Amino acid sequence: MNSDSDLKSTWKEVLDIIKVSVSPATFSTWFTQTHLVSAKSVGDRFLTEVGCRTFYTKNTIESRYFGLIQDSLNKALGKPCDLVFIVKEDVDKNNLKEGTPTPLFETEPKNENLIEVLRKARIAPNFTFENFAVSGSNQMAHAAALAVSENLGSTYNPLFIWGGVGVGKTHLMGSVGNSALRKNQNLKILLCTGESFTNDIIEGIRNKTTQNFRDKYRKLDLLLLDDIQFIAGKDTAQEEFFHTFNAVTSAGGQVILTSDRPPSEIAKLEERLRSRFEAGLIVDVAPPDFELRCAITQIKAKEKGFALEMNQVQMIAGNVDSARKIEGVLIKLITETKLKHLDLTDDLIESVIGKGVEQSGKTIKKDPADVIDAVSAYYQIGKRSLLGDSRARPVARPRQILMYLLRTHLGIALEEVGRLVGNRDHTTVMHAVGKITELATSDVHIREDISKIRLGI
Amino acid sequence: MKLQILQQDLDKAINLASRFASTRSQLPILGNILFSCQKTKVVISSTNLEISVAISVGAKVEEEGEISIPAKVISEIVANLPKETINLESEKEQLKISSPGFTSTVLGMSSSDFPKIPSTIGKDKLIVLPKEQFINALSRVVFASSLDETRPVLTGVLFVFSKGKLNLVATDGFRLSQCEVKLPGVTENFNLILPKNILLEILRSSSESTEITFSFNEKEKQALFGFGNTVLVSRLLEGEYPDFEKILPKESKLSVRLDKEEFLRAVKLSSVFARESANIVKFKMLKDSIKVSAESGSSGSQDTKVDAKIESGSMNQESGGLEISFNYRFLEDFIHSVKGEEVEIKLSSESTAGVFKDSGESDYLHLIMPVKVQG
Repeated sequence: MNSDSDLKSTWKEVLDIIKVSVSPATFSTWFTQTHLVSAKSVGDRFLTEVGCRTFYTKNTIESRYFGLIQDSLNKALGKPCDLVFIVKEDVDKNNLKEGTPTPLFETEPKNENLIEVLRKARIAPNFTFENFAVSGSNQMAHAAALAVSENLGSTYNPLFIWGGVGVGKTHLMGSVGNSALRKNQNLKILLCTGESFTNDIIEGIRNKTTQNFRDKYRKLDLLLLDDIQFIAGKDTAQEEFFHTFNAVTSAGGQVILTSDRPPSEIAKLEERLRSRFEAGLIVDVAPPDFELRCAITQIKAKEKGFALEMNQVQMIAGNVDSARKIEGVLIKLITETKLKHLDLTDDLIESVIGKGVEQSGKTIKKDPADVIDAVSAYYQIGKRSLLGDSRARPVARPRQILMYLLRTHLGIALEEVGRLVGNRDHTTVMHAVGKITELATSDVHIREDISKIRLGI
Repeated sequence: MKLQILQQDLDKAINLASRFASTRSQLPILGNILFSCQKTKVVISSTNLEISVAISVGAKVEEEGEISIPAKVISEIVANLPKETINLESEKEQLKISSPGFTSTVLGMSSSDFPKIPSTIGKDKLIVLPKEQFINALSRVVFASSLDETRPVLTGVLFVFSKGKLNLVATDGFRLSQCEVKLPGVTENFNLILPKNILLEILRSSSESTEITFSFNEKEKQALFGFGNTVLVSRLLEGEYPDFEKILPKESKLSVRLDKEEFLRAVKLSSVFARESANIVKFKMLKDSIKVSAESGSSGSQDTKVDAKIESGSMNQESGGLEISFNYRFLEDFIHSVKGEEVEIKLSSESTAGVFKDSGESDYLHLIMPVKVQG
């Protein structure tokens, strides 16, 4: 009974009853200044506290309308009530808005706490240009983001970054916000996803606070919208975004968007939005190549204070295809070495990579037969000899790759893999996985073969 | 109720009381003044539900009683009567007013509808405020409080009672005023936030008495001020006052002393142009003067030099070149509150609050946040 909304709705009921019995002037002068502070159930009675804004209200209501309030409360709560009147302001009414700015009181925390500012803008503090590795696949996007961050609102507006999962779109976008905030903490910057933008509108419509929503978005100096493709097909969200976009850009603000595909391929995107996106700069970020993955591995390892040898870095980069998975492997390695006190050896890394995919829960649900088909088609080796006994290298190597893929890509247990590949022992499979992991580290051809077969599956 | 009273006394009381009777109120009774007649006096009171006033006026009472009368009618009648004795007599809900050559019947309302108004101050927790110092302090503080209702506590003035003194504080978030009053009688530490309106009322109407008594009621959340025969009562503001002590600068890099009149003139001159460009006035510290300048894109610009004694607190001499911008309205407000002839300004950097002092008064301290100017 003591939750705020309960009290409020109860008191509203009471006021509705009272409204009928007293004159409008009396009601608006006295009763609108009251609220229900608490209602405790004691035995078969309720003990209630009625808050009044001033003691004049309290005195008048207590002496003249006690009976009326008690009757109405009895009805609303369904039990006899005892009333206590106190002078207390309705806190709700006070805290309606955050109120005016008070720079006198804000200076200190603002100057000291960059983390706090970043948190308010919802930008992760580790999204910076410094820890963003650049190579051919993302060079263009990086250069564009850097140019935008140096001259907000005028270089490329909007900047549209697109690319697949885990290629660093959000990181790049966050870096722009991060560097802008470092230069001037008073900039109004917000990073949000297309989805949370939509949710904000829905909430605004539901609570009739669309004005708050507009205040929040339209006055920004830099709007970073992640995964813009989510607003496609949502009419109100698109319209609101259209106006937000115009308001921000016309006031000299910068807009940066990310998506998993270029604007021309986002289905159900309004034409006026598409044309606006295309008016800015569209850059794509390709999946990281081997060298870039090496760099990412090094950066991430350094961030986590974890020392890796060069060949170990290459082993990870050669076998893991996205930045997020690299992070996952590193975390796994750290826990293994710290918690189980194991030494960091190549074998350990091999086994983590071997198990990594399985435990990340992202295994692909594919029939092992499809993989076997894909490998045999790729190497143009008959299925019989692929699964047979021949130990000649032209057959054995593809067979090892097959086992590697079944193990790491589909996450099938070692013994099951052995059974699928011509009833082999699980140690044979372990050896194959280890061998290929090692080869993928050093041999470009093997890496290429693996990624092409993967595409074929 | 039946009594005789002098026109001058009654006029003064009704004048004060009718300020709080709001004719625009939805509830007619709140546009009334209550006459309540006891033994040797009549208590005249009114309220706008934020503040109430009760004035006791001596009278020759023949019969006790109560009646409430529309403020507008009674004040206009009494103001125009000759300075002689007035007879007041109530009959049910009508008040008969008569003075030599004049009679009138005014329709009133039942006094039972009138809100209860405290007309005396309880003896416990009574604090006696030295009037002159208190009024002085109030006039230096109240103007800094906020007009914006979205942060209710800032519209009030913080009273900080501590051993032997009372500290008054007001801020609107851009500037802050603080003034201390010595109160030997106080032993407890406690804080109250009072609405600005009652304080303005005290500034206006307490001229005759030599001391002001103060008391408050924690449970009813009300503060009572008494002076002469008048009791003013207001509600207290509830809420958390921002931690102002934290923002008082502990040290400063340089201190500037200026002649008040010259400084005021410079600020006024700059306001001609500053008015059109967000009220911004620029200060540049020179060797033994400061340059006050303002410019507006549409009307022009100006520079004024004011002689100043500049002392650099820290070792480095370069702080002399400091440039800082303020809102001229805040400066004007401050200068008007200065009683002495010299103003002292303490600055640290272009982005930290400037400390302003009336150099004759150590109890008074004013802070103004500089305006951040881009580029």
